[in-house]
This record gives sequence, C-alpha cells and structure tokens, in this order.
Amino acid sequence: MLNHIWLALIVIGILTAAGRDIYDVSQNTYGNGVPWMVQIESPGSLDTYGKAIDATVRIPRRQVLAHFPDYSGEADVLIPARVTLSHAGDGVAVLDVTGDVPEKFRVMAAALGGERTLTARLRQSADVWKAEIDPVSLVYLKKVTNAAFDIAGVAVQIAIGLIGIMALWLGVMKVAEKAGLITHLARFVRPITVRLFPDIPADHPAVGSMIMNISANMLGLGNAATPFGLKAMEELDELNTKKGVATDSMVTFLALNTSCITLIPATAIAVRAAAGSSDPAIIIGTSFLASLTATIFAVTISKLLARVKMFRWDRSEAE
Amino acid sequence: MEIFRSIVSILSAVAIPALLLFFLVYGAFRRVKVYEVAVEGAKEGFNIAVRIIPYLVLMLVSIAIFRASGAMDVFIALVRPLTDLVGIPAEVLPMAIMRPLSGSGSLGIMTETMQAYGTDSFIGVLVSTLYGSTETTFYVLAVYFGAVGIRNTRHALPTGLLADFIAFLAAVFFVGLVL
Repeated sequence: MLNHIWLALIVIGILTAAGRDIYDVSQNTYGNGVPWMVQIESPGSLDTYGKAIDATVRIPRRQVLAHFPDYSGEADVLIPARVTLSHAGDGVAVLDVTGDVPEKFRVMAAALGGERTLTARLRQSADVWKAEIDPVSLVYLKKVTNAAFDIAGVAVQIAIGLIGIMALWLGVMKVAEKAGLITHLARFVRPITVRLFPDIPADHPAVGSMIMNISANMLGLGNAATPFGLKAMEELDELNTKKGVATDSMVTFLALNTSCITLIPATAIAVRAAAGSSDPAIIIGTSFLASLTATIFAVTISKLLARVKMFRWDRSEAE
Repeated sequence: MEIFRSIVSILSAVAIPALLLFFLVYGAFRRVKVYEVAVEGAKEGFNIAVRIIPYLVLMLVSIAIFRASGAMDVFIALVRPLTDLVGIPAEVLPMAIMRPLSGSGSLGIMTETMQAYGTDSFIGVLVSTLYGSTETTFYVLAVYFGAVGIRNTRHALPTGLLADFIAFLAAVFFVGLVL
C-alpha cells in the first residue's frame, strides 16, 4: 500500500510538472524572447557610467499585459533596481522582485536561480530602454528538482535532531524498565489494553511504552512522544512472528497514535495567538472532541479492516 | 474551559521534569545502576534515529515532489465535488489534504488560511482545529514502521487516512456547534 502511494506521489508529481511546463512553453506564459520596453527613473542623474546606482524601473501597464495576458493590475509596475549603465547606451539592471510586483516575476527569478533578484540586459532606444530577460522555461520541473534535493537534506536533519532526544528518553526509560516501573504501569491499564491489543501479553514492556507515547501525545509533548513510540514499535516487533509484516497490534497502536486524543493542541494555539486571535484557545474544546471521535473510529476501523481479506494477517507476507 | 485549559498547561509544563525525577529516583531506590543503565538505553536511541533516515528521506522526497509540481492543486480541484457533498468548506480543502502528508506544509497552510479568512472566523477556527486534532499520518507511518523494518504495512494506511477523514468531519461538526 505504502509502496503504491509512494510511487504514485512521485509519478503524478513529475508528470504534472512536465505537463504544466509544456503548457507554459506552448503559451509562452513568461513572454520569452519579447523585449520589455521600460523607463528608468532615478532621483539623480543616469550619467554615472560604469557605477551601479539605485533606480526604479517603470514597466507600463500595456507592456505588462503584452507579456502576461492575465495581469489584472490597473497601474504601471514599478520595480526597484540596481542599475549599471555604460557609455555605449547599454547596461544591466538587477531587479528586486520581493516587493509589490506581479507574482510571475518572482517565479521567473526563482527559475533563473536568483533568490529575489531578476537580471535584465538594457539597451537604449530613443527615450525608452529595451530590457531583455533570459528565457524562462521548465519552471515546475526545476521546482521539483530543488524541492527533492532540499527535503532530502531536511529529512536527515530531522533524524539527526531526534538523536539527542531519543538518547535522553530511551536512557530514562531503560532505568524505569529495570526498576520494574513499566511492568507496573502496564498492569495498571491492563483492562483496556487486553481488549485493544489481544495478542500482547498483559504486562509486556510494549504496553508501558505505548502508554507513555500516547500520554505524551495527549499533552502535546511531541518531542517526548516519538522515542516512546519507536521503543514501543521495537517491543511490538519482538512479538512479531513474520518480520517485515505489520501486526494487528502495531496497526491499532498507530491508529491510536495518528488520531491521538489531543488535550492541548499547543502549536495551533501558538499560531492563532501570533496571528492576532482574540480567543486562541477556543480550539481546545473542538480539537478534543474531534480527536476523541477520530480515535474511537480509528480503533474500530483498525479492528474491522484487520478482518478484510486483502489485509488479513494469515494472508500477509513480507513483500 | 478556562480551568481545564490552565490545568492542562500546568500539566504539560510539569510532566517532563516530574517524570525524569520520578523515574530516576525510583530506579535508584530499587538499586538500579542509574547512570550505566541510562547510557545503555541512550545507545539504542542513537541507533533508532539513524535507522529511520532512509525511510524519512524517501517519504519526504515523494511528498515534496507532489507538492512542488502543483499536483496538489489539481488533486484538490478533482476531489472538491465530493467534499462539497459532505459539507467540508472548499476553503479548508488544501489543509485537509496536506495534513496527513506534511507537518510543515500544513502549518504553512493553516497560517495562510487564517490570514485570508480571519483567525476567529468559522474557517479560521476550523483550520486550526484540523491542525490541532490530527497527526501527520504519512510521516508517522514512515518513521514508526521504518524503525522496525516493516515493509508490508497491511491496513495501517487506510486506517490512518479514514481516521483523518473522520477527524475532519468531526471538526466541521463541532466547530459548527461552537460558532
């Protein structure tokens, strides 16, 4: 299942990107090869040959429309720029596209590799300047490439970031386990767990780890929850008779985990407060009820699906 | 509500230090060689974190490709008629679809949506409830199954996604009650 979805995400993603790029080429969405007729406005003189000056590039509305037919603004587009002019009436403008300019300029800047700047070659003709920008193409395929490389690095950072917190919690857990605490905890919640996880011996350490994971999740302590959860998976896997195949208990545990009852949705409240909400905590009640409903259904669904033919334990092999 | 909120916030502030203190003191009381045993456990933590790297990289890369290509927008347009039927407002659809896939992506969408529709509007409260009440299912499955080398995940993904869908319906319902 995860196999197919994984492949589908990549294939659909790349095909969509290619399709959009082909469409953009056929429509010349970015006005490639059509020079821009612009005015250069500067508070001082433009006769500063060879030196970069701060100026404003004014693109008349009609020019913008000629390149981007879907432009909806009513006024000329003004772009701050660093302009360098030579004696021969040509030069270079580095346009700062971070401000209030059509979004397409930013897309073009990103596609041409400038973070927030777009470089145009200038040539004077009468009282206007002819500005040429490198042709922009295959925007989406380039985005896909960059996104894939970036996230590959981020994924490793996430995992590396986990090392410290994992080491701390699993260290403490080991002490609790050796002291017999986890077994006590497991025995305490036994009435619930024997129903949820019929194939786990009642005082198996996995139960303790799962309880710790779920309690941490409920309190919004995501950092503490992951080590307990991964520990629980290892312990559940010790009981697994078919390595590589998820057991019923693992699926039920993950159903509980992903739908987990939320007492305090800390991140969402913080974002609401930062965004100027008059009542950031109003979502505590709604989140609690929504997640409670989801948890009840999740456990039920995991039990029901376990009996469906294609998912049945006795028919499942490690692929 | 106010009392519940302060109890929960005190609980989450005290939980970790209290747990540390209790586990270690109880361990020492039971004559466990606390430091040595803790180091042993910590070594396992290192191994698990390193073991999940390949799973995490490949899962996040496929989701990033799907997002960057704009396929997400196409997908949203395709499922919109369905969600209109069950009463999920179209404005929160990007959130509903991003939430199981990417934690940072859905955080971004939550922020954008609240800026566009107001934090205290129906849509604003709904997106933040959606964010608060569900987990990043794909991430959790990749990491947790990755840690123990599970390749056949059986009904875990359908269960997780169905539960997410139910959480969304429940959120629409309960937010509707409150506002």
